Amino acid sequence: MIVIKDELNSLPIKTYRWLNVNHLKLDECIEKDRKPFCKRFFEEMDDDNISIGSINNIVTINQHLSRINNEKQEYGVSGKMVDMAENLNNAGVYAYIKKGADIEKPIRIEYGMDRENDVVIDNNIIVASENSRATIVVDYCTLDDIDAFHNGAMKIYAKPGAAVTVIKIQRMNDNSNHFDSNIAVVEDRAEVNFIQVEFGSKRAVTNYISNLKDGGKSAIYSIYIGNRDRELDLSYYMNHIGRRSISNIEVKGALKDRAKKVFKGTIDFKLGSSKSEGREGESVIIFDKTVKSKAVPLLLCTEDDVKGEHAASSGKIDEDKLFYIMSRGFSKEEAMKLIVEASFNPVIDRIPLEDLRDIVRDELARKLIVEERI
Amino acid sequence: MDVDISRKTYVEDIDRGIYDIRNEFKYSYKVEKGLTEKIVREISEKKNEPEWMTEFRLKSLEIYNKLDVPVWGPNIDELDIENIVTYVKPRTDMKYSWEDVPEDIKETFTRLGIPEAEHKSLAGVGAQYDSEVVYHNLKGYLAMKGVIYTDMETAVREYEDIIRKHFMTVVPPSDHKFAALHGAVWSGGSFVYIPEGVHVDIPLQSYFRLNAPGAGQFEHTLIIVEKGAFLHFIEGCSAPKYSVNNLHAGCVELIVKEGARLRYSTIENWSKNMYNLNTKRAVVEKDGTIEWVSGSFGSKVSMLYPMSILKGERARAEFTGITFAGNGQHLDTGAKVVHTAPYTTSSINTKSISKDGGVAVYRGALVITENAHHSKSTVSCESLMLDNKSRSDTIPVMDIRNDEVDIGHEAKIGRISDEAIFYLMSRGISEEEAKAMIVRGFVEPIAKELPLEYAVEMNNLIKLELEGTIG
Repeated sequence: MIVIKDELNSLPIKTYRWLNVNHLKLDECIEKDRKPFCKRFFEEMDDDNISIGSINNIVTINQHLSRINNEKQEYGVSGKMVDMAENLNNAGVYAYIKKGADIEKPIRIEYGMDRENDVVIDNNIIVASENSRATIVVDYCTLDDIDAFHNGAMKIYAKPGAAVTVIKIQRMNDNSNHFDSNIAVVEDRAEVNFIQVEFGSKRAVTNYISNLKDGGKSAIYSIYIGNRDRELDLSYYMNHIGRRSISNIEVKGALKDRAKKVFKGTIDFKLGSSKSEGREGESVIIFDKTVKSKAVPLLLCTEDDVKGEHAASSGKIDEDKLFYIMSRGFSKEEAMKLIVEASFNPVIDRIPLEDLRDIVRDELARKLIVEERI
Repeated sequence: MDVDISRKTYVEDIDRGIYDIRNEFKYSYKVEKGLTEKIVREISEKKNEPEWMTEFRLKSLEIYNKLDVPVWGPNIDELDIENIVTYVKPRTDMKYSWEDVPEDIKETFTRLGIPEAEHKSLAGVGAQYDSEVVYHNLKGYLAMKGVIYTDMETAVREYEDIIRKHFMTVVPPSDHKFAALHGAVWSGGSFVYIPEGVHVDIPLQSYFRLNAPGAGQFEHTLIIVEKGAFLHFIEGCSAPKYSVNNLHAGCVELIVKEGARLRYSTIENWSKNMYNLNTKRAVVEKDGTIEWVSGSFGSKVSMLYPMSILKGERARAEFTGITFAGNGQHLDTGAKVVHTAPYTTSSINTKSISKDGGVAVYRGALVITENAHHSKSTVSCESLMLDNKSRSDTIPVMDIRNDEVDIGHEAKIGRISDEAIFYLMSRGISEEEAKAMIVRGFVEPIAKELPLEYAVEMNNLIKLELEGTIG
């Protein structure tokens, strides 16, 4: 049995209690046992510039980890959840990219949960050496009509000059739980871009932190759909430590039915992060008056020579647009899907693989058209 | 031109001068330290209050003892409520003529410019010295229109029905610990009643002041603006400096009826050992408007978030605020708006400046409930950091539970841009003047909303030294 009695996604600075945004409090037992995940979840790569393997191969991983400065990092949806992912995992990938290597083919990790393998507790570590480039794609999906459980952690170490793009797609079914903790250590002049697609599960609690050193760059592009009774708690934190670091958080969402969403985005300019710039924006399209949409865009600053900006907007779908599209022979659902898709496209277009872009668009259509008709 | 344009400019502290002159501490009556049922009963007894008010105080005390201090916001550990003398009664009784007010108290007010202000077209003066209102006056013609402007103690006796009906209904004692404390020990403050359709064309003003060391001030303000009426109320606060930490836990309740408009302006300039934990709230009915203008310059710690509850259709709230945090100050300010009716609109516009180790925080809340369809809200916060010893945080929360809404929120943080200074300098303006111009430009939209007589304070605030002394 997996017991979650915890405060998740705590705000870095607390605020009024009556708004219920300081953390997500969970107290529940998930009737699941931790068991092995007996499926292949990554592709071997025929490239000398990259070592990739299962996280359980302790010998190899330690050999690689000794090359990075493996200081303890605070991150994740909560200390306990990260601890579970790091120490009680049943899956996970480590990937080590050699200095200067440009890995064109994306590293693909797929956790397809089925009746026999309905629990994924994964710990993933990506080390991108100096001036290397790589793209990692992780897909969490359910293949059977089961109630799956996922709790994962990912640590991305981008050494000086490295560029890493991580794409995470979550399209688990409406009975499943999804917890996901991510941290990127972005060293001098390195760049980490994180693309997140949150389309599934009954409950999705995700957390992402970038620690930006001198000249480090990081961006988050996130899209989410909340429909039916889905609960989303999304937390993003850009921690500007070094000078001239740049961050960008761009979140777009669509909420309908009785969905609940909390977006927490923080840009934190630490003392010493002079000449840094950070911006964040969230825009939500709300379909029904039964949704609950909360947004907490924080801007924290102890350095004067910085530029920080945030913007948030929410509103109903544009009736004129809807009417126009419908007058061209589309159904209301199709028209709504088109409008949401137009808003999501800038993020979907950043996914480097065509088959994945199709998967995301199909999933969007399924959520906004097919499920509507059931 | 060979000038280092990234050099930092030193902005002078507000010249507190006259505010920090303290009078010899004299009092006629003082309760023992700490808060007990006995003290609360004593306060009520001294004021000769009706039974229901005594009961109300005791109930609030009970709530106070049950509630915990907020887990968020600035650190208030240094504030030891047990050591704060909660109530100090000044030596004088109520006076209606300026001449009757004792010389030392009068002198303080004269230094603060109150009588002049009154002469300069202010409708009435309710100056509060320590916990009792010592001076009260209201121009005759307003009284003839049925306008009531009096101190709370008198109001409890003379307008018992109205007070009993509304007292602490907008801000119930159960709201938070300091509201409960207020309910138990409140003392002084103003009661204003504007009858239906009356347009008060000159602003009413009250000036609060704390003088006794270690004394808390818990003044209560209740304003009712009836259907279609208009009022501009100005509240100013200042206190001389003492080594003992002072607490101010006032409460302001504003009731804006159908189609009425109330403008509530405040300049808070407490001394820098003051804990300002003030609660202000307005309930706005159909077609009514509340306009807040709020300047926070003083105090050691401020937690001040005026709240507007838009209860009736098409009700409107506007909040304009400026916060300036200097050395040793933690000013946690902001605004809260709750839209509970359709077609309601709100707009929040704040600016904050932090310098010399000061902490300026914007903390906001915007709630749109299920009923508030077709609501609109815009929030804009801008922060200016004058050095890297200071801190500036923006903590807004939006809670939207309706689809027919139009919500926009934006915030910016940064320092004076080098490009802007360079541009102005290229036009022949000196570096110092350029920086001064930019800071003045930054606060201008707020400054013009401030009441006239506070322009002087504002000018001091943005006065820039001609030569940079920091960095």
